[in-house]
Amino acid sequence: MKRKHLGAIVVVGLAVVLAAVAATSQAATTRQAKTVTINLYASGDVNVQSLWQQYLIPGFEKQNKGIKVKLIFSEHGVNDTPTLARIGAAVKQRKWPGIDLVDAGLVTTLATDGLTQPVKKATAPNIGNVDKKLLTPVHGAAIPYRGSSVVLAYDSNNVAAPPKTLSALLQWIRAHPGKFTYNSPNTGGSGYSFAETVVDSFMTQNVLTQMQQGYAPQLESNWKQGFDLLHSLNQYVYQGVYPNGNQAVLDLLAKGQIWVAPVWSDQALTALKTKQLPASIHLTQIASPSFTGGAAYLGVLKTARNKVDVYKFVNYILSPAAQTQIINVMSGFPAIPLKLMPKAIQNKFADVSANSLRPTYAQKQQSDFKAQWQQTVP
Amino acid sequence: MVLPPVAVIAVFIGFPVVAAIAYTLGRAGGPNSVVASLGQRQFIVQKGVTFDAYRDILSNPTIHRDLWATVWVTIVVTLVVVAVSWAIALYLRLTDSWLARTISALSVVPLFIPVVIASYAILVFYASDGFIKTVAYHLGFHGFPTLGYTLTCVTLGEIWVNIPFGVLMMSSGLNGVPNNLIEAARDSGATMPRVVRSILLPMNVIPTVIVATFTAIYVLGSFTVPYLTGPTAPNLLGPSMANFFNSFNQPQQAEVLAIVVFVLALGIGAVYVWANVRTGRRSGLQS
Repeated sequence: MKRKHLGAIVVVGLAVVLAAVAATSQAATTRQAKTVTINLYASGDVNVQSLWQQYLIPGFEKQNKGIKVKLIFSEHGVNDTPTLARIGAAVKQRKWPGIDLVDAGLVTTLATDGLTQPVKKATAPNIGNVDKKLLTPVHGAAIPYRGSSVVLAYDSNNVAAPPKTLSALLQWIRAHPGKFTYNSPNTGGSGYSFAETVVDSFMTQNVLTQMQQGYAPQLESNWKQGFDLLHSLNQYVYQGVYPNGNQAVLDLLAKGQIWVAPVWSDQALTALKTKQLPASIHLTQIASPSFTGGAAYLGVLKTARNKVDVYKFVNYILSPAAQTQIINVMSGFPAIPLKLMPKAIQNKFADVSANSLRPTYAQKQQSDFKAQWQQTVP
Repeated sequence: MVLPPVAVIAVFIGFPVVAAIAYTLGRAGGPNSVVASLGQRQFIVQKGVTFDAYRDILSNPTIHRDLWATVWVTIVVTLVVVAVSWAIALYLRLTDSWLARTISALSVVPLFIPVVIASYAILVFYASDGFIKTVAYHLGFHGFPTLGYTLTCVTLGEIWVNIPFGVLMMSSGLNGVPNNLIEAARDSGATMPRVVRSILLPMNVIPTVIVATFTAIYVLGSFTVPYLTGPTAPNLLGPSMANFFNSFNQPQQAEVLAIVVFVLALGIGAVYVWANVRTGRRSGLQS
């Protein structure tokens, strides 16, 4: 008798479960028609994360009911290379890689490899405002949305006259042992920029341009002199250590352990605003050559889903309101002409413009650079 | 009955391992085609195999330094963990005071603290403005070395992380030694050191070998502790593998390094198997 009951219970139970599954899947399909999800991959330090998570995404979602943005964040860009592999493999097979929009250093590679949608196909009117010169290094296939640069931070209590040129900076480092460091190039862009700037200072413009626009492994022997110089700095660097990540260098600055360091302008200004860096820390740019910088690009993948909605999001990011937010939150440079921005912002940026920033190497060249730095410098 | 587990192992562990080994030997077809289409500095052959990727890695002076650093840190950590956990377990076995219980309880605490948090705490503790250096400074010892970002700091961190497992294994092994054996020896006039040497030590060989081999294998492949607390170079092979894979975009070299670590771990594993077989044979003879 008991067996029979058990059978009946199982059958009824199964029926209930099946009905529930059918109901939910039906609900899911009807809901899907209303909500669209954009998957955004972004990498950088925590300031980039908070820009997306606390400002741009909520602001956009509020104006566009029915479109959700899902942020996939990679701190310090540690997942950039595997993500590049994943996107490359998927797009080449004309499949969706699970990502629609990318904000990371790898966008330039995606664009030059033809994995992103050309800008002229974009359905976002605000893209028309973007400086056309910024489209050249990415073959017109990525959208600049903000600018930032690496600058020299110094503690004004201890450094009265900061170095104005690269050679003056190198001299300063040798004269003040233990008071300078930069993060290892494979863990953050500010230390990377310092290392590349030193190496670049020994190279001709022709070689530089080739490395900025493509992958030229045969020219890497030109790096030797610069790496030798960087190696000779080991004894003058704080504890002979290159900390991991841009933030670790800011921490050392804040604690007064070091007096001078290369930092991201946006990250340092944000830290100054939130008092994570004392007010005695000042920022300046060096010359001949200057530190690298440039626009941060957004890439819409060729196999992205819901491209119309993705471009709606891009359009929002390039609107004066969102650009003002970017400047206030990140202390970044705007990607659209200053005359479209509010008066207060126009005054703030009177003497800097995003496209005077010195460009950096292409992604693959950067990978090689980081590998050689690790082998020859520390 | 054994087929499903064997199949799971074969599909999820065996197949990727075979594919990875094939990739390190220059075969980029099939399952390796995606990774090979994007990697840099690869050594690929269409027919046969090539050892060029191994040559590339093993002739790299940075890797030599990393390899030696890894071997030394592993040896030191293993010796210290075995010695310290033996001492704590023995103290706990022979005395039953509140002090012994407190020490053994404290020694297990690291088990409950995530390694990332612990590593960061260790780094701050030994930093140039950390607790240890501050105390030394106030005691008048101004030249105390800064241990943060050094291999010493990595060693201390690895010991900290591995002590709990050692203590747990050793004390359960020593608790398995029957009290009447110890008492009989004491009645026949054996001193305490003699009891330890002739009874506790031989009866606790297997736990000791387990602690030593598992600690060594853990340290060989560890990432978090050396990444957060170690120097830029030389560092252990864990962070250097991650560098090759993530930052340098050289997946083939990263996999070669993984195989180097695997071979080292295999050697340590062989010791463990040998010790097990030996005791197994002995107890077989006795019965």
